[in-house]
Amino acid sequence: MQSFWAMLVANLKMSARNRAAFFWNIAFPAVFILIFPALFSSGIGGQPSVGITGADTPLRQQVVQALKDTGSFEIYEGSREEEQTALEKSDRSLVIVFPEGELSESSPLQLLTGQSDSPSSKIAVASVRSALLDILGQPQGIAVTQQQVADLNTRFIDFFTPGVLAMSIMNAGMIGLSTAFVGYRERGILRRIKVTPLPLWKFVLSRILAALAIVMVSCFALMAMAKIVWGLNVRGNWLLIVGVLALGGLAFLGIGYAIAAISRNVETAAVFGNALSFPMLFLSGVFIPVSSMPSWLQPVAYILPLRYLVDALRKPMMYGDGIGAVWVPLLVLAAIFLAGFGVAIRFFRWDATAK
Amino acid sequence: MALPSPAPIPPVTSAGQAPGAPIIEIRGLTKRYKDFTAVDGIDLEVRTGEIFGILGPNGAGKTTTLEMIEGLRAPDAGSITVAGLDAIGQSDQVRKIIGVQLQSTSLFPYLSAAELVELFGHMYGTPNPKARVPDLLALVGLQDKAKARVEELSGGQAQRLSIALALVNQPKVTFLDEPTTGLDPHARRSLWETILGVRNAGTTVVLTTHYMEEAEVLCDRIAIMDGGHVIACDTPAGLIRALGQEATVSASLASAASVPDRVAFAAIPGVTVATVVDEQGETRVRLQTADAQATLVGLLDLAKERGLTLGDLSSTRATLEDVFIQRTGRTYVSEERGKEEREKRGRRRSARRM
Repeated sequence: MQSFWAMLVANLKMSARNRAAFFWNIAFPAVFILIFPALFSSGIGGQPSVGITGADTPLRQQVVQALKDTGSFEIYEGSREEEQTALEKSDRSLVIVFPEGELSESSPLQLLTGQSDSPSSKIAVASVRSALLDILGQPQGIAVTQQQVADLNTRFIDFFTPGVLAMSIMNAGMIGLSTAFVGYRERGILRRIKVTPLPLWKFVLSRILAALAIVMVSCFALMAMAKIVWGLNVRGNWLLIVGVLALGGLAFLGIGYAIAAISRNVETAAVFGNALSFPMLFLSGVFIPVSSMPSWLQPVAYILPLRYLVDALRKPMMYGDGIGAVWVPLLVLAAIFLAGFGVAIRFFRWDATAK
Repeated sequence: MALPSPAPIPPVTSAGQAPGAPIIEIRGLTKRYKDFTAVDGIDLEVRTGEIFGILGPNGAGKTTTLEMIEGLRAPDAGSITVAGLDAIGQSDQVRKIIGVQLQSTSLFPYLSAAELVELFGHMYGTPNPKARVPDLLALVGLQDKAKARVEELSGGQAQRLSIALALVNQPKVTFLDEPTTGLDPHARRSLWETILGVRNAGTTVVLTTHYMEEAEVLCDRIAIMDGGHVIACDTPAGLIRALGQEATVSASLASAASVPDRVAFAAIPGVTVATVVDEQGETRVRLQTADAQATLVGLLDLAKERGLTLGDLSSTRATLEDVFIQRTGRTYVSEERGKEEREKRGRRRSARRM
């Protein structure tokens, strides 16, 4: 136990004093947090989304067609409940509820918007009103009510921060850990451990715990920065969020150890780490939602580990979802962790020479 | 620079073994790789309280031998006993009672010298490792560098630190693999003092080296290895005495018009071994002799008779170099020059990587 604690403390010191790791874990993501929200101040990328629900009348079909013809909206059709929930999560700019039969004072067309009154919802409302005018042609008699629904009022920083945290965790595991561990092997540090009575698992476990501690510190520092500069609003349960950060950390440390095991030297590990992490950065919904990517590209996101971490972080942080909404990505992350360490154990080598 | 000769100071043994009793016994030790045999059935015996040197050129099998004793490589045949323990079957037990310095850097980055010594103390499970840090650093002459990070140490200081780490567990035997390779002459000599200090404090030291001079000055006994075999093993004085010669006479042959062959040189009175080598475009003759005076006269007569111009004529006391030449028929220096070049290239490569 004494040797394990000493190794843990030593690993924490080494991690804290490593300036390159500080850059990748904190400084680099911090630049993203500071700059990107300024570029995307108009809101989360993509077109205003309009939810359609209620009775399936000829009017509804005409309005949907008219909105589709403008090419300016993402159209979702669903049950009243689904669409209302989406609106409350700020996932819709506007929800249109169609009544049975003709429009009248007693059964008007309902337009639901969020309280935030965003430009995109104003555009959507105006487009719907003009479409109704074209279809019905009588400005006086159109029975429409407009109503605001309490929504989360999510902002770009709320969407973006979970993505940046996921990126920091990915870099720490796939590039930071893998190159450091291969460096230890190349410089004979692993062999030096082998000739002491300290079992390797104590060294690896202490290294993992130290890396998780650094992940937590980095993520909380980034969240504090996002809060101070952009007013980040974290809605979910902190225990769940910390759990997701830890499991995400383990999954990417697993990938890092796997890369370390199959890499001959530090350069190879860096190439593997960058080649695998770089595409993930753009295809896993860090910067734009996966749903806004071209439809032929969306399936790719489902095979990328980072997507599951982004998903599992964003749901509780941005929407305040509970564990019920994220158990699938959490299972995937757990599987990645196990697979990564499986590969690492299978291909582990004490020394750099292939003897 | 004068170095105190390693006079056999009666060692204080912490291990309870009588000084001079064997602490390591190796029989028929063999390590084969795919297409060559790195260590070919060697027998060795290291005695308690001595500095035992394994000397040999690159590829002789020195490091492989050391790594088999340390438990880093599994032998293909033979037995190793360290302080009564079977080093192959009980390597877990052996690890606790030996100290190891590897050939590579093998120091954790970003830690200070004192932090590293304390960490290794914990790794060996020694009681209160922090308390022993000042003594260990003082023993290797790093008391002023306790707070210096590993990255700030010079090559010689890093080697000293790794020797301190090889002593944290108060080992019965400590293994130093080429501890002075890559150091400048001053740092090398000062490291010799440190190693003598370690031995005098009661730890048996086994080291490898490819420096003839180092082995001769530093070691109590030496095993010379070549091609996976131990070709000689004795005290430095014993090895030289066994040559039956008193000196080496050497000269360059400036006018190479009609260089006589080796047989003509070997026929000079007193000569035991004659070698003619080309060193950097210059032909040199080296004559090992049991009678320096007779050989010098004979060489001058031969030169006069054949019209040779002798340059750079010298007569030096016999050294381990002569032992190597006698046993292998090859000179040692030229091989080592090639190795140094390779090492320099290797160091540049790894420096780029950092």
